[in-house]
Amino acid sequence: MPSAATAGVIERTRAAVRRSVVRGRLQAVAAGKSEVLAFDLDGEALDVAALVKDVTAGQRPGSLAHQRLAETFQRSGITDTVIDQLAAPEANRRIRSAQLAGALGMEQAVSWISALLSAKEPAVRDAAARALGSIGGSRSAEALLRAIRRDGARRTLLVELAHAAPDLFLETCLCTPRRIGVHAALAIAAGLRRRRAAVTPLLGLLASGSRRERAASCRALGWIKADIALPAVAAALADTDWRVRMSAIKALVRLGGDAYMQELESLRGDPNTQVRKTARFAIRRLLNATASPWEWAWR
Amino acid sequence: MRPENQLGPREVLSGTGRRSPAPTFRQHPENGRPAYHDMVDRVAVLERAAVLFSLPEGVLRALARRMRRVTVASGEMIVCQGDPGDTIFFIEEGRVRVVIEQPPSVVTVAVLTTGDIFGEGPWLLKRPQQASVYAQQDCTVLAIDRQSMQTVLGRDRTVFENLTRVAEHRFRTFADTTVQAAWGTLFKEATVVGVYSPKGGSGGTCISLNVVGSLARRYPGQVLLLDLDFPYTHAALLAGLVPTTCLARLAQVPSEAFEEALLSAILYHSGGPMILAGSLRPEEAEEVTPELVTRAIGILRKTFRYIIIDLGVTISDTTLALLDLTQHIVLVAAPELSAVKSAADAIDILLRLGTPQDRLSVVLNNRTMKPAVTRSAVERMLNRRVDIEVAFDYSRPDQAAVNGEILSITNPRSEIARGAEALAALLDTHHGREHPTGHVAGRSDMTTDVSGRA
Repeated sequence: MPSAATAGVIERTRAAVRRSVVRGRLQAVAAGKSEVLAFDLDGEALDVAALVKDVTAGQRPGSLAHQRLAETFQRSGITDTVIDQLAAPEANRRIRSAQLAGALGMEQAVSWISALLSAKEPAVRDAAARALGSIGGSRSAEALLRAIRRDGARRTLLVELAHAAPDLFLETCLCTPRRIGVHAALAIAAGLRRRRAAVTPLLGLLASGSRRERAASCRALGWIKADIALPAVAAALADTDWRVRMSAIKALVRLGGDAYMQELESLRGDPNTQVRKTARFAIRRLLNATASPWEWAWR
Repeated sequence: MRPENQLGPREVLSGTGRRSPAPTFRQHPENGRPAYHDMVDRVAVLERAAVLFSLPEGVLRALARRMRRVTVASGEMIVCQGDPGDTIFFIEEGRVRVVIEQPPSVVTVAVLTTGDIFGEGPWLLKRPQQASVYAQQDCTVLAIDRQSMQTVLGRDRTVFENLTRVAEHRFRTFADTTVQAAWGTLFKEATVVGVYSPKGGSGGTCISLNVVGSLARRYPGQVLLLDLDFPYTHAALLAGLVPTTCLARLAQVPSEAFEEALLSAILYHSGGPMILAGSLRPEEAEEVTPELVTRAIGILRKTFRYIIIDLGVTISDTTLALLDLTQHIVLVAAPELSAVKSAADAIDILLRLGTPQDRLSVVLNNRTMKPAVTRSAVERMLNRRVDIEVAFDYSRPDQAAVNGEILSITNPRSEIARGAEALAALLDTHHGREHPTGHVAGRSDMTTDVSGRA
């Protein structure tokens, strides 16, 4: 009888061997050398999604390797199992299935994964959001937008919306009055994606949006480095809300607004402490003084 | 102090002075399924696209259902050059302008109208957007993303293959148009050719010098070799000339005297070619900046017919600036494993930088009697054809260097001279003044073997 420690080592070794075998099979499929896949999705210590990501690392979504893998999974019936397990009672199964659907870019699973965005377990919600971000496309982006409207602009949802949104999606949503509740989130996502086509809608939002929207559009314009937005961002330095003023200062630094040094100097006497502090750092940064990155953390 | 050419904060916030009023982008319907008459319109737009001609109506309807109809205000950017992209746009109504920015030029390469498509390049060719697209008037486009397209079309590879062909053709045409418009081939200015050898000892300088000799026989006094093979530039020495000044030393010359100083620094070879040394001492190489090179090329282009630049081995900022300035790139590789590997990497970089395939020529220079790597193996590794193969020329190149001769002028029957002549002919076919657009029938078959085996 092996001791408990020895048994643990043997089990870990077996798991590593299993992973290695599956990775080899996936690599063969991705390279077009094989068209057969057979393994147990529920196998312990077998994170198929991670293996798929590993095999397709460095390749764009929709590449030939992705397509071969997706087709082989479909042919082998694993895709159906994945979709079935998205409704499994165990959170762990749902997470794994969502991860695999994301790694394979299974667009047909979007509606089932969207349902997981309102799951009770935070880990399931996060896995679903990440899967939708990996799959991308307008259906995924719509699902993420619905989740943002329902649950608020959580960090994961925002980042994944930026990943998922196809061209011109964020811009059109920013210009749609019916989506008014999510404009701030859309602005942040457009900024994260560095969407230059979104500059005009963002300027519109900065001119007529709510407090949150003005702050978000300022940040986004800074990330995009839209030089054309410099006067509007500088005007936001005189905004009535301190968060907007602070965002404008940060954006101005990104835009290289040396010409507005006088306005920044005047903000050193701002009634709000955060704004005063940010203005001080901004002036230092613009004058090429060293400012450590942590000083620039969002609030 | 506020920059003068920018709008004031009040103007921007009040909306006055902006190019177009909000909303600049609108989606119809804002959400939900399209209505029946809307579907009919969408399918009609898809049916007009030649690439989707073979699709059954059911598939077209599925595509139409997943499309987003977006209205774009006049003057707004729809697609930004250099961005990644995952959407194909079908123009339902209106006109868009396709623009490529290649500093210092901005070139409008196409105007697309109802029924045309754009945005297909990035996800089919795996490159960033080649051009920006602006709405020239208020227009309506139907957008479909990659994921929807793949889901609907599934395994039907025909459409993807057709789309890829369209994207490749368009990429080449746009790149060609940009090069011609940006560098004034239509205005009879010099053709700038870069000779790049990714590995030292491949014979890049020898090929440069001899191709200059061959071209100079055709156009005496109109061909210049700019030697930027840093840090040691020896082209003038190999041609039996002794330079007294160089491009690097012109960095401090005031702008009003620059042109005269530049032209007087050029050495004249009795056989016809002219040579301008990049530097005389290794430490002077740092003085040759991208700005200096751009200024110099701008002047030289008006004076010569061909400017051949020996780019050497390294990829520096100056090399990258020069790659932007060149209309043709000649890549010299020796049939050795390391040289071919370096050449494959270099080709990959050049293509990523946007060099069109037909503006890149590969010269295989045999430095030994029996090369270790065969031509077919080289072509396999490079994943493209070798345009010109130069056969082993025994000790003639070394002897010519000792005598200060250019083989293509003194011994036209030598292998190097024959290779240089073939390369000169290839360049002339692409960039000769008789064909100002550079389009020559049958140029895709232009592969020359001067190794004596053909």
